[in-house]
Amino acid sequence: MSAFLQSVERRAFKQAVYAVRDDDAALDIAQDAMLRLTERYGDRPAAELPLLFQRILQNAIRDWFRRQKVRNLWVTLFSALSPGKEDDDQDPLETLHAAGESNAEESGADQLERTQILEIIEQEIRQLPPRQREAFLLRYWEEHDVAETARVMGCSEGSVKTHCSRATHALAIALKARGITL
Amino acid sequence: MNEQLFANKICQVLDRATRVEPAIAERLRAARERALDARRIELAPGLAWADNVLGSIGGQSGLWLRLVLPTLLLVASVAGIYTWQQNQRLAETEEIDAELLTDDLPIDAYLDRGFEAWLKKRAAR
Repeated sequence: MSAFLQSVERRAFKQAVYAVRDDDAALDIAQDAMLRLTERYGDRPAAELPLLFQRILQNAIRDWFRRQKVRNLWVTLFSALSPGKEDDDQDPLETLHAAGESNAEESGADQLERTQILEIIEQEIRQLPPRQREAFLLRYWEEHDVAETARVMGCSEGSVKTHCSRATHALAIALKARGITL
Repeated sequence: MNEQLFANKICQVLDRATRVEPAIAERLRAARERALDARRIELAPGLAWADNVLGSIGGQSGLWLRLVLPTLLLVASVAGIYTWQQNQRLAETEEIDAELLTDDLPIDAYLDRGFEAWLKKRAAR
């Protein structure tokens, strides 16, 4: 279990960040998912853990959005009574810090270019509709097949293919518009 | 462009995104340890087997089994202990009755008040 969690924690965090656009919230979601996995499915065979974890993670992300809806409702209701605090949108450029661990032998220009491409791709993924993003990341990044992805998302295999196709198409158009060729 | 090919290229770039700041990496490590600790605390040697059986059953039926089955087992155990105690008392009573009836002294002697007084006097000595 420990090895599995170690192998998935960073990708889980990144998936959550793409969805919720907040590092702290994403960390909470990742921790919540890991806790749920160990508490409820700690005795399952190792082969079952990837799918189980993905389902738990996606549910945790949806739960976060539901809580945010309720929270935002109360904030809206009481916003007239107290001065509101501006919500800080996550600065996408914060992801540039990830370049800190990059290969030191790369030239500065190459490193900057790679970092910028990564940052743009992450931006575009964040902007995808939630179901398209979920299908794309599960199918291609987590490398689940169509059937497994459909099980995690709770939809048909046809829907998964449609979401993946639309996500890929949207990303291709967006990257082309930004002058990025992979 | 081929969808799979394009997606693979995107994912190659995304794989670089899994490099996170040291602070984030440390918090993820701590979260992982908390999850593993929760699992270790939950399991006690005596409950490990029960947890293994019941833990594989999720949802409402699992919840039902986690509450109702242990309660039923507890009630059955208490009922069993009570029945055993009653049987023990009955057996002891039967044993005493058997000894009285098979004794050389006739059973009617125990109904004689003079005999009872003699027994008390003898016990007082």
